[in-house]
Amino acid sequence: MDFVRKLFKGNLNLIGRIMFGAAGLILLASLFLPWWHLDLVAPQYPEGLSVIVYPDKLDGRIDIINNINHYIGMKWISEEDFPEFQVITKVAYVIIGLALITALVKKRWLAWLTAGLGAVGGMIGVYDLWRWLRDYGTQLDPMAAIKIDPFTPPIIGTNKLANFITYTGFNSGGYLLGLSIILMLLAAWRFKEHEKQKE
Amino acid sequence: MEKGLFKKIVLSLAGLLVGLVIAVYLSAQLNPEAEAAAAFGGKNISVDGVPDDVVQAALKTYVPPGQLDEYYMFASGGHSGNVFVYGVPSMRRIRTIPVFTPESAVGYGWTTESKEMLGEWSWGDVHHPALSETKGDYDGRWLFVNDNANSRAARIDLDSFRTSQILDIPNIYGPHSAVFMTPNSEYFMLGSRFAGPIPYGTYSPIENLSKDYNCVLAAVAIDPNNGEMSVGWEVLMPPWSFDLSDAGKLDSEGWAFLTTYNTEEAYELLEVNASQREMDYVVALNWKMLEQAANEGKYKIVDGVKMIDPLDVPGSVYLVPAMKSPHGVDVTPDGKYFIANGKVAPVATVFSFEKFKECIDNKDFQGEERGFPVVNYEKVRVAEVPVGLGPLHTQFDGNGYAYTTLFIDSTIAKWSLDTFEVVDVTPVHYCPGHLCAAEGDTVSPDGKYLVSLNKLAKDKFLSVGPSHPESAQLIDLTTDKMKILMDVPTDPEPHFAQMIKADKITTWEVFEKDPSQPGAVYEKENARIERDGNNVTVYQMGFRSRYYPDHVEVNEGDHVTWYLTNTDFDEDITHGFGICLYDLNAEAQPGETIKFEFVADKAGVYPFYCTNFCSALHQEMQGWFIVKPKGL
Repeated sequence: MDFVRKLFKGNLNLIGRIMFGAAGLILLASLFLPWWHLDLVAPQYPEGLSVIVYPDKLDGRIDIINNINHYIGMKWISEEDFPEFQVITKVAYVIIGLALITALVKKRWLAWLTAGLGAVGGMIGVYDLWRWLRDYGTQLDPMAAIKIDPFTPPIIGTNKLANFITYTGFNSGGYLLGLSIILMLLAAWRFKEHEKQKE
Repeated sequence: MEKGLFKKIVLSLAGLLVGLVIAVYLSAQLNPEAEAAAAFGGKNISVDGVPDDVVQAALKTYVPPGQLDEYYMFASGGHSGNVFVYGVPSMRRIRTIPVFTPESAVGYGWTTESKEMLGEWSWGDVHHPALSETKGDYDGRWLFVNDNANSRAARIDLDSFRTSQILDIPNIYGPHSAVFMTPNSEYFMLGSRFAGPIPYGTYSPIENLSKDYNCVLAAVAIDPNNGEMSVGWEVLMPPWSFDLSDAGKLDSEGWAFLTTYNTEEAYELLEVNASQREMDYVVALNWKMLEQAANEGKYKIVDGVKMIDPLDVPGSVYLVPAMKSPHGVDVTPDGKYFIANGKVAPVATVFSFEKFKECIDNKDFQGEERGFPVVNYEKVRVAEVPVGLGPLHTQFDGNGYAYTTLFIDSTIAKWSLDTFEVVDVTPVHYCPGHLCAAEGDTVSPDGKYLVSLNKLAKDKFLSVGPSHPESAQLIDLTTDKMKILMDVPTDPEPHFAQMIKADKITTWEVFEKDPSQPGAVYEKENARIERDGNNVTVYQMGFRSRYYPDHVEVNEGDHVTWYLTNTDFDEDITHGFGICLYDLNAEAQPGETIKFEFVADKAGVYPFYCTNFCSALHQEMQGWFIVKPKGL
């Protein structure tokens, strides 16, 4: 019994534990929501063509976008080209697991580890996204019918490309992911028990 | 003296001129509309110069850019073999649907499927469109039309505006008395216009018309799930000319009413000889009773169809005397009256269904013809409305008024179903046949718009030589007096039309990907040409702006089966496909796979290309069909 009590005797306070628990659940919820999107709008597509990125799949009107992109020689966008989709959810589950354990055992070192993993993972994700955007926008087929200057759409913002204006940004899942990481960092940083006062 | 005389003449002329100018000025001041109307006939028209009521009328039909019409109107295209779709109130023609005639605009008649559907005929005569109904109201699922020439009926699916089935109807020569829909689309019916010996191909001299010739009423059953048509049963009718028809509804549900002329059974100079009797008939059939007879086996098979002799089913057919050679018959929205239009008698005769039933119950008959009881005219008729000369058809609004076209008078009369008096008459331009009121054939007409389908349009549009277009005129029914809002030229030759609220129709835009369907290829790797002896099958893909493969070589005499899949699953991105000098043309809608088959009987090189503009590089969407000569 003493061992078990010791195991649960960490120095994260109640609010910190709640925040970690919440962070885990929010991250879990985000896995079922879109993380990021790209919308293409042109005169003949007033309804917009979108690419929606989930943690494990692509959605939206990719076939139509691919068909149009061949004019400028852009690589065919296909889910199989993204090994990330095999990994992201697994990493997320690990972090979710760690966050929930942290909430249970209250250990600050575990809190920092989990929050750190989340933050680093998030940063890698954003970098990966930017890399793909640059890849698609700059490695254009030199044989393409329509020659355009290489481009990299911003991760959040707008970009003009021929008759299309692209609108990019995070979606609900992406915001939840960010919130989850912030919650964990904040909890690890601020919400520890003041042992001296308690004693 | 001479000088004085000259002065007098000059002065009096000048006085007259000044007086005239003042008079014109004053009359213009007193009656500005007259001046405006005069200006309207001139060349320079500005909005300022157009009378206010003309501007108001134009505004009522104006649909601003980006906005949509309130109604679809489906007009038959007569011997053009098409159905024309208009938006109301703008009266813009938004689609031509080919039904009984090849239409190269959409490749209808060249693909294997459409070729099979058209069968051996290259034209048809579309007469009366009928929208499918649920509880007597349009449900927006299907449109059915008849072919008066080659005894067929067709279904147009209203989710795609395509003809999807054509059905041959045996034993009917010219189904003019068609099509009319029963209130829950159980059946639509077709009645013969021309008497003839049945089945087809039977010979009998024309002198034997009364003995050997027959007319027929066919009940075509509709599958409630997919609209599939099949001939349910037919009824053997006398060799009269059945003209128009309507199904009973609400109170009169279960009955069908047909007008007939030539009860004289004449067979030459019908103009005279079929117009001798003072009274012809509205024929009333109890179709539920006949349906039951068909189910009970009271029929014989004629040309593969269950043929019921109504004399074997007593009580199923009655004759209602109607003024000489009646044309249209129309059942009121409440189903309580049926109205026969005189054609050569200047009245619309209103019959009470209730009194008709009473006559049957009381056996109040004034005689019998060909074994059918003739009900007592005096008892059944409730009014003879003096609508004018040449009444043909009647439609209804939701406020208890009927509207009847007067072919000879070139007017439309509005009359009350309460007092049976004419309350308004408007001239039309000219010779109206049918007319179409918004949802006017349902149990709850909208009464907002009326379209007069005129046979002549003399002087109404820019001249196009001796054959003028027909015309349709949009009439406002929201005011007490009917008001013509707009004139529209139409192609030959609308007979009837039906108008349905636009929101009742739901269309789809793109074909679904279906790898199981024969010939479909969705991946470049699968696009290919296969040979099996003399049979070559082409599995081709088309998308903006390419074909895969883009050259196809066969040997002279090969039998070619060509599949083309449009892999642009994108709204409104259609690809055409035409082979130059090979008389082949088709069109693949987004996601669609089309098929055509032909023999490569001409050696040489024949370019093929996309006929339907698809992209900036549309012109480059092409390839070559190469036919290697025999013995090379």
